[in-house]
Amino acid sequence: MITVAFAKGRTMEGVLPLWQRAALPVPTDLDESRALVFEEPSDTYGTVRFLLAKPADVPTYVSFGVADIGVVGKDVLYENPRDVYELLDLQAAACKLCVAGPPAEREKRPRRVATKYPRLADQYFRSQGESVELVGLSGSIELAAVIGLADRIFDLVQTGATLAANGLVVFDEVLDVSARLIANRSSYRLKKAAIDRITSGLKTALEGGWKA
Amino acid sequence: MTWGLPHGFAEQPAGMRDVYPEQARVRRDTESRLLEFFENHGYQMVSSGAFEYVETLLRGRRAEEADDWMRWFDINGRMVALRPDMTPSIARMAAPLIANGQPEVRWCYAEKVFRRSTAPASLSWASGKAAESTQVGVEWIGPPAGAADVDIIALCQHAMGLFELEDWQMVVSHAQLTETLLAAQGLADDVRERIMDCLLRGDYVGVRQAHVDQAAGDHMLSRFARLTPLRPDSIESLLDPLGVSAAADVEDHSQRLRAMQFARTLWAELTDFAKMLQARGLTHHLSFDFTLTRNLPYYTGIVFEVFVPGVGAPVALGGRYDQLLARFGAPAPAVGFTFEVERLLAALTDGRWLGAETGGKETER
Repeated sequence: MITVAFAKGRTMEGVLPLWQRAALPVPTDLDESRALVFEEPSDTYGTVRFLLAKPADVPTYVSFGVADIGVVGKDVLYENPRDVYELLDLQAAACKLCVAGPPAEREKRPRRVATKYPRLADQYFRSQGESVELVGLSGSIELAAVIGLADRIFDLVQTGATLAANGLVVFDEVLDVSARLIANRSSYRLKKAAIDRITSGLKTALEGGWKA
Repeated sequence: MTWGLPHGFAEQPAGMRDVYPEQARVRRDTESRLLEFFENHGYQMVSSGAFEYVETLLRGRRAEEADDWMRWFDINGRMVALRPDMTPSIARMAAPLIANGQPEVRWCYAEKVFRRSTAPASLSWASGKAAESTQVGVEWIGPPAGAADVDIIALCQHAMGLFELEDWQMVVSHAQLTETLLAAQGLADDVRERIMDCLLRGDYVGVRQAHVDQAAGDHMLSRFARLTPLRPDSIESLLDPLGVSAAADVEDHSQRLRAMQFARTLWAELTDFAKMLQARGLTHHLSFDFTLTRNLPYYTGIVFEVFVPGVGAPVALGGRYDQLLARFGAPAPAVGFTFEVERLLAALTDGRWLGAETGGKETER
C-alpha cells in the first residue's frame, strides 16, 4: 500500500485532474466527507491511501514516513526544506511568488513586508540589497498592506483577483511555483517499484499535453 | 486539572534530548550489540576526544562544511569543533601507525557526534541532521578497493541481520562514476555542478531543469535509473560514441573521450565488485543507484546507505576514501561505515524507544 499526503485546497484541486488522467484512484466522496483519510483500491497501483493535510504539513508527513509520497506546492518546499526526494514537477496549480503593494509605494524603498514566507522573503530582499522588517502572518496577507501594517507583501499570486480587489499591484515576480511530487527517502528505496509506477503514470499523463 | 506553569526548572538547548531510565538501557544495549559484533570480526575498539581542531576535521573536505559544526576558539586561540563524525579522528590516530609500516588498521568505535541543528531532537533523530547522535562504526585502513569492499558490505549487511527488521534496503553508488558519466555526456562544468548539487538534495525536478532541454534531462535520468553493474551492458546507453562526434569544440571532444574512458575503467571495477557480491549472496537487499551522491570530497570509490521503513534518513552509511589518509601524512586506501543508532532504534521500536512502552513515566516510582 502506498500512502499519499495531499496538500488540501488549491494544490489538490489543481492536481486532481492530472491524477485522474493518470488513472490513479481518487477518493470518491471527497466533497461530502469531512474525513481526512481515504483508502481507494486500484488494479494498477494497489491500494492507495490518501491523507489530506495542510500544505505546510505535507513535507513533515513525508519526511517522517507516515506518507510515502506527497503532493505539495514548490513554495512550501522552498520555505521549509526537508530531506525528501522531489520526483516530478506536476505543472499544475501554477502560480507566482510576488512582491506586491499599493501603487503609491512602487517607487519607495521597501520598509516593512508582510508574508507567510519569512525565510524566502528574507533571502529575496537581501539579494536585492534591501534591508526590510518582516512581519510573519499566516493568512490574508493582503490585509496587512491594505491597512498599513506593511508597505509590501510577499505572497503567492494565482490570478491576481484578490490583489486587484484590494487595490494592490504586483511590483516584482520572484519565483514560478507549481505542485511537486515528493517522496520519503526510505519509501523511495523500499517501495521503489510502486512509486516508479505512479511517477511514470503521472509523467505519461503530463506528456499528453494537459496543462493547468 | 490545570497545569500550573512551573518555575525554576532548567531549559535545554535546541537539539538536545534527555534519555530516561530503560530508554538509555535500550540504546546502550544496541550500541553494545554492534560493537561486540564488530570486535568479533577483528575490529578493535578505539575512542578519542569529542573535539578536534577545525583544520584537522577539514582535511579532504570543503571549507563550507564547517558551517554545520559546533565551533569555538580554544585557550590558545585555535579554532576547534565538536566532531561531526569519527573518520577524521580515526585517520589522525591511524596515520602515524601506517607511516611506521603497520600494513593495516581495523578499528571500531561507539561515540557521540555533533552538528549544528535548529530542529528539535525528536524530529532530527528520525529524519534529518541531529545536533547530537550516536554512531557505531568501523574503519578499515590499508586494503585497496575490490575484495575488501565486498567484506565491508557483508559486515554491514550481517550487522543489519542482528536486528529483527524484515524490510531494509542497501543502496550502493560510486563517488566518481556519476560525475564522470555527466562529463561523458558532454555537459558543461557549471551544468554538471548544478546537477550534482540537485542529486545531493534529491531534487530530480532540478536535474531535469538543469539540462538545456528538459526531455534530454528526463532521458538521462531514466538511463541512470536502469544503470546497474549486475547488468554490465547497462552502461552502453550512457557512453554512446556517436553522440560525441556532434561536439563542435575539439578540446571539449577530447575531454569527453577521456571521461568515457575513465567511466569504462570505473565500470570494469564495479562489474567485478557486483560479481563478487552476487557470488557471496549479498545482493538480496542491495540495489545500485548512481543518482545517490555524497557531499564529502574525500570519498573515492563505492558509497552506500541502508534504508529502513519509517526513518527518512539512512540508518547506516559508508564508503571508500582512498585519499584521506594522505592528507594526514600516510597515504593509504581505506573503507568504512557507521550506524546511526538513534535512527536504527526509531525503526526497531517504531519510535517507541523514547515512549512509555520501553520505559518512561510508568516505570518510575
